[in-house]
Amino acid sequence: MTVPALLALALLGWALLRALAGYGRRDPALCQLSAREYALVRGAAEATFPPGGPIPLSGIDAKIPEHVDRYLAALPARTRVLIRLLFVLIEHATLFFKAPGWDGFRRFSALSLEQRMAVLEGWARSKIQLRRLAFQGLRAVLTMGYFACPAVLRAIGLAPLAIETPVVDADLLYPPIGQPRSAILFGVEDRARTVARLPLDPRGPLQPGYGEASG
Amino acid sequence: MSDPRSWPGEVRVFSDYQNDFTDSADVVVVGSGPCGAVAAYELAAAGKRVVLLEEGPPFTPADFELDGALSMARTMREGGLRFTMGHVMPTMQAIALGGGSLVNSAMCIRCPDYRLEEWAEAADLARTSRRDLEPHYDAITEFLGIAPTPDEVQGPRNLLFRDGCKALGYSSEPCPRNVVHCRGSGECFTGCRARAKQSMDISYVPAAMRLGARVLTSVRVEELLSNGRRVTGVAGRVVAPFSGAPGPRFRIEAKAVVLAAGVLATPLLLQRSGNLANASGQVGEHLQFHPGTSVLGFFPDPVDPVFGATQGYQSLHFLREGFKLETLWAPPGVLAVRMPGLGHAFQQQLLDMRYASVFDAIVSCDLSEGRVRERGKSLQPEMRWSFHPDDAAILARAVWVMTEIFFAAGARKVVPGVAGHPDEMHSLAEAEALRQRPPRAGDMVCASTHVFGTARMHGDARRGVVDEDGKAHDLDNLYIADTSIFPLSPSVNPMFTGMALARRSALALADRV
Repeated sequence: MTVPALLALALLGWALLRALAGYGRRDPALCQLSAREYALVRGAAEATFPPGGPIPLSGIDAKIPEHVDRYLAALPARTRVLIRLLFVLIEHATLFFKAPGWDGFRRFSALSLEQRMAVLEGWARSKIQLRRLAFQGLRAVLTMGYFACPAVLRAIGLAPLAIETPVVDADLLYPPIGQPRSAILFGVEDRARTVARLPLDPRGPLQPGYGEASG
Repeated sequence: MSDPRSWPGEVRVFSDYQNDFTDSADVVVVGSGPCGAVAAYELAAAGKRVVLLEEGPPFTPADFELDGALSMARTMREGGLRFTMGHVMPTMQAIALGGGSLVNSAMCIRCPDYRLEEWAEAADLARTSRRDLEPHYDAITEFLGIAPTPDEVQGPRNLLFRDGCKALGYSSEPCPRNVVHCRGSGECFTGCRARAKQSMDISYVPAAMRLGARVLTSVRVEELLSNGRRVTGVAGRVVAPFSGAPGPRFRIEAKAVVLAAGVLATPLLLQRSGNLANASGQVGEHLQFHPGTSVLGFFPDPVDPVFGATQGYQSLHFLREGFKLETLWAPPGVLAVRMPGLGHAFQQQLLDMRYASVFDAIVSCDLSEGRVRERGKSLQPEMRWSFHPDDAAILARAVWVMTEIFFAAGARKVVPGVAGHPDEMHSLAEAEALRQRPPRAGDMVCASTHVFGTARMHGDARRGVVDEDGKAHDLDNLYIADTSIFPLSPSVNPMFTGMALARRSALALADRV
C-alpha cells in the first residue's frame, strides 16, 4: 500500500471516529433515542432553551430529550425515520460546514453552547428554504417538548384550565383505545349527571397535572 | 333517553376482530369523516342496511392528549408530518372515528353564491347553485346546532380581531360552528374535553347507529371490488390503532359503495383498484389546497389566550381577492414554533405569549395545482404540488392585511413570521416593508388542512370523475362523497359544503339502491 493510500485511510478513519465514536452508553430508560440522537437532542435543547433565562427552566430541566423519545415512539415508522434523518443532518453538518471558532469542525453535540447557538442561528437565517425548514423542524420538535412540561406552561401562563367532561351517548359506545368494549367507562346513569356548561373562568383552577404540585 | 347499547346498530373496535370475516350491506360507506358520517346517517334514515368503515379508532376523552406533539402523533396520519413535494408544505389529515371533525375547529361556512356560480361555469354543473345546496346546509345546521360563536366564549384574542377589522372598515363576523355550549377552552385541535363540539363521532355516527348502521373501526379498505360497471364491495385489513399493524382480512359485499375516504385516500383507492372510475384520466389530478399562514400580534395588556373559542371570528371581506381571514388558537407548543429567536431571547418571546393573539389567512389558490399518487404500495399519498407565484402574492397581501388589523386593534408588536423581514415589527410604518417587498412563496411558513379536487365533479364525463350526485360517471353504483369532488376551491372552509354535497348524494343513492 502506498503512502498516500495509507494517509487517505488514516484520514478516513479519523473522520469516521469524529463522526460516530465517543457518544457514551445509551440510556436504558429511553426507548427510541440512540446515544447519538440523545446527544444531539440534548445539545440542541440546551442551545434553544439555555439555563439562567427568563423562564426558570432550561430545555434539560424541562426534560425535552425524554419527551422527544416519547414523541418518536408515538410516530409511525416512516415519519420516525424522517425525524432521525433530520437529527443526523444537524449533528453531522458541522463536520463539513464549520461552526464558529478554531475548533468548529466537530459534530454538533460536541460543540460548546455558544457554538451550538451560532450554528442553529445560521440554519434559522439561511437563504436556502430547505435549510430553514430543517431548522424549523428541529425547533418544532424541541419547542413542543418544552411546552409539554407543566412548569413551563405555568411559567408562561398558558397551562390548560380544568374542565369537567360531561358524558354523552357516544361515551356509552366506545371504550378507551386498545381496550375491549367491556372496558367502557360509563353507564346510562352517568349521562344524567349535570356538569357546568358556562364559559370557563380564565382565572379558574388548572387541569389536574398542571398545578403547582405537578412539577 | 334510550340506552345506546340497545340501539339496533353497533360499533366494533380493534379488540373485536379475531379472525378474517365477511359481511354484507345495502351500502358500505368508506370513511367516517364529516362527509361519510352524513352519508351513512341519511342512508340509514332511508332504511338502508349501512356499514360504515373507519381506519382509525374512536377517541374517548380519556384518549385526548393536551400535549400538542403527542396529540398530533396520535390523531393525524403520518403523525401530522405529512407534506407535499414540489413546494414543501405540511398538510394534516386525521385518522380517527369522525375524521377531521374530531380535531378541527368546527367552522361551518356556506360556500358563497358567486363561487358556486364559478363552479357551475367551470365544470358544466346545472344543479349546484347556492339555492340547490341550501336545503342540505339547513338540514345539517339543524342537526348539529350550527350557530355563530357567542360573544361570551370569544375571549379577548378573538374580539381584538373584530375590533381591528372594525377600525379599518373591514367586515367581520363570529364564526358559525358545530358547537353547542362551547366553554371557550380553545382545545378544538386536541379533542373537545367539554364535549361541546359536535364532531361526527358524537353526533352523526351515533345517530346512524341509532337507526341501525353498523360501524367498523380500525379497518383499512385496500381495494374496491368490481365487476363491469358495478362495484360489488370492498376488501381490506383490520389495522391496530396507531401502529397500523395489519390484522385479519375482511370483505364486505354491498349493492352500492360510497367512497368518503378523503381527498388523498379516495383517488389512491380508485387507482389501486384497477384504475377504477378513471376513463376521464382525472383521478388524482387537480390536487388543490388552501395554504394558510399565521401572524402573531402582542398587546399591551394580557390577552390570556388559553380562554376563548379556537377560531371564533372571521372576515370574508377579502374573499373575492382570494383570501379569508380568521382568528386562531392551537396547542401553545405548536404556536410557539412561530416565535422568533433562540436561547434567552426566545424564552423572552415565549413569556410574551400571554399577551398574544393569532390571526391566520387561507388562500383560494385557483392557480396552484398538483396531483396525488400512491407512494409505492404503502397506501400513503405522494403529493406533488406547486404554489403559483400569483397565489403566493395573494397570501403575501393577506400577511400585510393581518398586520394592519393587529396595529389597528392596538398591538404593540407583530411577528409576521416571514423570512427576509424583521422578526418583529413595532408600527405600521415599520411593517410597510411587507407591502414594499412582498414575501415570496418560500418566505412564508405555510400549512394546509383544506384539500380538494382529486376526483372532481363535472357535467362532462370526459372531464370529471363524478356527476352532480357524486355518482362515478363510469360506474352505476359507486358514489364519491368527500371534498375530492370539488371542481374548484370553495374559497371558505370546505367541510360544510362537503357535507351538504354528501347529503345530496346519499339522498340520491337512497332512491336508487
